[in-house]
Amino acid sequence: MCFHEHVHGNQEKMGRIFSVNLEGKIYSCKHCRTHVALMDDIVSKSFHCRHGKAYLFSKVVNVTVGTKEERMMMTGLHTVADIFCVRCGSIVGWTYETAHQKDQKYKEGKSVLERYKISGPDGSNYWASHEAHVGGSDAEDV
Amino acid sequence: MGGVENSEPPLKRVKVSLGDLKNLVDEVSRIVPVSSSLGDLMARPLCSQGAEETVGMKGVIKKQEFVKIITRALYSLGYVRTGALLEEESGIRLHSTAVALLLDQVQGEKWEESLVTLHKIGLSDEITVKRASFLLLEQKFFDLLKEENLMAALDTLRNEIVPLSVNVGRVRELASCIICPSQCMALRISSQDGTDANSRSRFKEKLEKLLPAAVMIPERRLEHLVEQALDVQRDACVFHNTLDSEFSLYVDHQCGRNQIPSHTLQILQAHKDEVWFLQFSHNGKYLASASRDHITVVWEVKESDLVLLKHTLTGHQQPVLTITWSPDDSQLLTCGVEEVVRRWDVNTGECLHVYEKAGVGLISCGWFPDGKGIVSGMKDKSICLWDLDGRELECWKGQRTLNISDMAITDDGKRIISICRENAILLLDREAKFERLIEEKQVITSFSLSEDNKFLLVNLMNEELHLWSIEGDIKVVAHYRGHRRMRFLIRSCFGGFEQAYIASGSEDSQVYIWHRDTGKLLLTLPGHSGAVNCVSWNPMDPRMLASASDDRTIRIWGLDDLNYKGHCSNGNGIT
Repeated sequence: MCFHEHVHGNQEKMGRIFSVNLEGKIYSCKHCRTHVALMDDIVSKSFHCRHGKAYLFSKVVNVTVGTKEERMMMTGLHTVADIFCVRCGSIVGWTYETAHQKDQKYKEGKSVLERYKISGPDGSNYWASHEAHVGGSDAEDV
Repeated sequence: MGGVENSEPPLKRVKVSLGDLKNLVDEVSRIVPVSSSLGDLMARPLCSQGAEETVGMKGVIKKQEFVKIITRALYSLGYVRTGALLEEESGIRLHSTAVALLLDQVQGEKWEESLVTLHKIGLSDEITVKRASFLLLEQKFFDLLKEENLMAALDTLRNEIVPLSVNVGRVRELASCIICPSQCMALRISSQDGTDANSRSRFKEKLEKLLPAAVMIPERRLEHLVEQALDVQRDACVFHNTLDSEFSLYVDHQCGRNQIPSHTLQILQAHKDEVWFLQFSHNGKYLASASRDHITVVWEVKESDLVLLKHTLTGHQQPVLTITWSPDDSQLLTCGVEEVVRRWDVNTGECLHVYEKAGVGLISCGWFPDGKGIVSGMKDKSICLWDLDGRELECWKGQRTLNISDMAITDDGKRIISICRENAILLLDREAKFERLIEEKQVITSFSLSEDNKFLLVNLMNEELHLWSIEGDIKVVAHYRGHRRMRFLIRSCFGGFEQAYIASGSEDSQVYIWHRDTGKLLLTLPGHSGAVNCVSWNPMDPRMLASASDDRTIRIWGLDDLNYKGHCSNGNGIT
């Protein structure tokens, strides 16, 4: 709550944030509880990032998309963009614009949410794994 | 041109005065084949075997027609000599010889002869010939009655008028005239307006209208064409934002850009936090603004267009989302975020009532058109209708509204409009108890209803505005783009003279204005230092626009011209 207030107070000019409400088993932003995705939309749970596990979702909501960039991941070169919670602005994951390898094309248009950044449907949070990958930008596994 | 067989050599152009023409008529009528529709040999230029002369750059105006309507206009204006001179100089006769003769004979009340001439004009439509004959014979009939020659009148009626078999009802009336001649006078006068002279000219008018336009150029044809052109110019004038405008024929009408508000007249500072919503009252005399600071401010719009603070309405424990004016502008409804709806008296600033529902936050509100009820959207997605004292009258359960939704009610009280799904707007018909949906492919963020209730302006998540027609065929009729929206709820509205413009807030801190019909972005107005959340155009003053921003201020926009009051010398028309 304290953290929430801190974040809230920091937002000087915010306007009335437009966000949609989901129904079902919901994943939400850890900081401000804004809905971001549904459990039903999970495509894969075997992704990884610097902070540990990450899930690939077919659809996410209430996020703003950052600038596109080329990133070399374990599975090859991809064009990705970071995604941020629309309300509090904290980074929640990234979205795949283009995959340069044929067998990675299935990721296009889908988004990865870092398990560390979101609260699960039962409200559970995930703590950064001590066995995080050494060095490197967000990676992922197939 | 007509299908005249050119077996005879074209007649030389003979310079004769109109008077002499009568003498030539017999000669001409023998030569001209009866089947010609425009038997106008005298006017045919020597070079035009098949090719028609045109005037104007595009080659679509036939010279003959052009000159004829000018001639007609000259006569209408009373310039008889000039008209005749034009006919002579151009060699283009206004009327064919037969028609000229007919008119002449009608003038001279020579009914028998005119009937003969009528048939010589060569009208292709039999019905028209019959109707024209009827008119002529009617006059003959009346004249005979006037002379008290009942037998001849009866004869005319029986043997000439009746066989035409047109206008049967009128025939009966005429028959009754014979039986009762005094009634006839009344009939004649009533049907033909007043004195003999008047009735004669009215009869001529009728006759002229009956004949096809190519044979008898309609009166005021030139004036009509000019008025049409002016209409086109006015419709094309995207900046046309004023009722009183003068049209000059010298230059195409084009209002300057300075007819649309584009200049900050005032910056209103009263809120301590972001201003999320604002709206002018129906009578344009007040402006109400709602803010994240939980406060609603009522401003008064003075005669001089100066906007002054009137009341500060406190009471909400949450940011105020939306405001609606009562139909008579004497009261206001405000809604707090997932909280309560409050009703206020505009004059005193008092809170008259608080509407709430146990355990459910309210998210939107609207007045009933008769001012006797309140509609409100709830957090549980239902919509409730209360009377002013808070008694629940009706409740629509199920998914009727979302956590963020505007609410609108049509002026006839029949339809309630609300966003019911991410990408759908509900049009709920209260009486017929049925619902229609507007569905979009993108997420809908807000909407605005036009004054005539026939159109809905829908804001989408992907920064597009769609204009939907919601009467009859429900469909998108226009798109508007340009403004920015990434995270916030940004509102747009209709406005200006006849609501010919669309205005919107934007996250880039500017106000955007489009021309409604063409979709063209006309203006972007910088000035605010934060996202512009909401705009409202004064319904009674097309030159005043208000905008609400995250920078905690409200800007009043007006014309960028000191003399914009407009009724004076500067004029409103041509730049």
